[in-house]
Amino acid sequence: MELIDKLTVLADAAKYDVSCASSGAPKRSSKGQSGMGATDGMGICHSFTPDGRCVALLKVLLTNFCLYDCQYCVNRRSSDVPRARFTPEEVVTLTLDFYRRNCISGLFLSSGIIRSADYTMEQLVRVAKLLREEHEFRGYIHLKTIPDASPELIAEAGRYADRLSVNIELPTESSLIRLAPEKSVAPIKLAMGTIRNGVEEASSEKRAPAFAPAGQSTQMIVGADATDDSTILHTAQSLYGDFRLKRVYYSAFSPIPQSPKSVPFEAPPLLREHRLYQADFLMRGYGFKASELLDGPGNLALDIDPKLAWALNNRQHFPVDLNRADVSLIARIPGIGVLSAQRLVALRRQKRIRFADVSRLRCALEKAKPFIVTQDYRPVQATRESLVIRQQLSEAPRQMGLW
Amino acid sequence: MYPVRFDGSFAGWREAARHQLQRGLAPHQLSWEDGRQEADLFGQLNTIEPPAANERSVRVPRALLDQLERAARFRCNGRWALLYRILWRVAQGDHAAMMAGDADGSELHMRLKAVRREAHHLHAFLRFKPRDATAGGPELVAWHEPAHDILASASGHFAERLGRQTWMIATPDDGVYWDGENLHHINPCPPEWKQLAQGTDDRNEAMWLAYYGSTFNPARLNRSVLETNMPVRFWRNLPEGPMIPRLMSQARAGAQADGQAQAVSVRPGKRIQAEAEQVLPVRPPA
Repeated sequence: MELIDKLTVLADAAKYDVSCASSGAPKRSSKGQSGMGATDGMGICHSFTPDGRCVALLKVLLTNFCLYDCQYCVNRRSSDVPRARFTPEEVVTLTLDFYRRNCISGLFLSSGIIRSADYTMEQLVRVAKLLREEHEFRGYIHLKTIPDASPELIAEAGRYADRLSVNIELPTESSLIRLAPEKSVAPIKLAMGTIRNGVEEASSEKRAPAFAPAGQSTQMIVGADATDDSTILHTAQSLYGDFRLKRVYYSAFSPIPQSPKSVPFEAPPLLREHRLYQADFLMRGYGFKASELLDGPGNLALDIDPKLAWALNNRQHFPVDLNRADVSLIARIPGIGVLSAQRLVALRRQKRIRFADVSRLRCALEKAKPFIVTQDYRPVQATRESLVIRQQLSEAPRQMGLW
Repeated sequence: MYPVRFDGSFAGWREAARHQLQRGLAPHQLSWEDGRQEADLFGQLNTIEPPAANERSVRVPRALLDQLERAARFRCNGRWALLYRILWRVAQGDHAAMMAGDADGSELHMRLKAVRREAHHLHAFLRFKPRDATAGGPELVAWHEPAHDILASASGHFAERLGRQTWMIATPDDGVYWDGENLHHINPCPPEWKQLAQGTDDRNEAMWLAYYGSTFNPARLNRSVLETNMPVRFWRNLPEGPMIPRLMSQARAGAQADGQAQAVSVRPGKRIQAEAEQVLPVRPPA
């Protein structure tokens, strides 16, 4: 098989893993040195595909031969897909060539499970080692960690990779038993724990060798089973806490060719995935708890964003006076982000905040209006019922897809 | 209105602006001529000598000068008038002029953001083409069309990425060349550079195009997010640019049913024979 054909198959096989971040790595530079590659903490999206997702890394599987039979996965052993396998050298060649052209900022490498978890993990580590040691590559490397791989192999992976990730895939053990018979929650969490310890040891000692300096992430598939958003968000919250994850990615289940009957034939609305990302962002950046966003079982509203939903359920905090309120409360106002909140607090040291100032900060005014008080403005909606405001602000239903 | 002529550089403007501040001239009394535009008609009519400079010193925060320098890279008519108005206001003690909530400050921050974005676009969407450098010249060349004057300040990034490799970037305005040790910025860009950047053939581009086509998920077609993140003006200089409309129309014509790339679905598949009991990972008892 020609290299270009392998690339065609193994990029297609890898794209259902949605993580693409190339950020969080320490500053590295090749200026004046042999080898190539740099990182500076910021991620770069080098292209976007027509699905709107960014291309930051060469994202491929080492092989899509796989012994496991995860029902939601296009590469499961019972799937009738074309199969291919790269040699480690081939992945290295592609990475360096794309990197020189400025098409990517690094490599995201994962693999189907061949022979055993340890054998598969060894192969992944070998590629990273070749890149770092033989070719002095200083760009970004993200390695998928195979659950059940030995802690020694995970430790070795952490020395070469900027980021490691173990996919939890489904948030409950019962779903894993039904849809991913070879997987289990305990070994997944064990691997996450090994990575957490590695990161903490490396950062506690200055002279310790680096270990996955950009931390670890995971992915949950949304809509392949009946799990609701509440369970998903509470699971994400405990993963952030227990394993210090940098990111949880939510991947709307994407229908696959010759789909088995155990998984849906249709994708969940992409809007559901979008709302989960918004809620996740509120937990990471705004100090929201999962229980504030969804206090019982169920899903996030699709017609309004989770911050607006929270505000409408908590009218006792509103309207907020922008000339007095604490910055953390201002950031909880729908339509006003953390940056705008900080800018408002800085500006009010110079002058009283007026409505036009908020408008110049390019806040989403229509959303913010019912919830704010300024020097020259009080909302007429302050006494209006939440339901009425919700109807005014809800996003128009989307047109259904043709297929 | 008094015309102020300078060489079009930020250093030149800064020198001129300090002079005008010392003369006590207000923003509305000045017209800035950086050599890029026709001389101001009204400026020519004005024959009165401006007041002489006094020796009072002008003090503004260092951070303001940094911001003005970066905002000066924003291409527009009236590029310098806003900068002087803000400088004038801050010099008089009105620090709100620098802030995003102020009328002038919001324009300043809009320009700063656009300049930052354009530098990021350079880092993201520029594509180098490798060439045979045994006969001389850089190993990598690129053609890029930035919307603002960011090439000189933002291209050092590629020296960090590419180590000792030599490269050249040509734009419709200026150009940079990295010889392995030093960065050379030339304005205007020499025609030979433009020719080299645009004329170099790339024989190995097919590999990248194959990757781009396969990593796209047709079941999630989302044109508006694509266009927000990768403005259409960059497409024509990207090797994958011409593929985008074709991938979109394929997806709309039915490939949207699942996520598989067309180039993969036409190939024969292969199921893997294994017994469920054999493949279960061996785990120590909990």
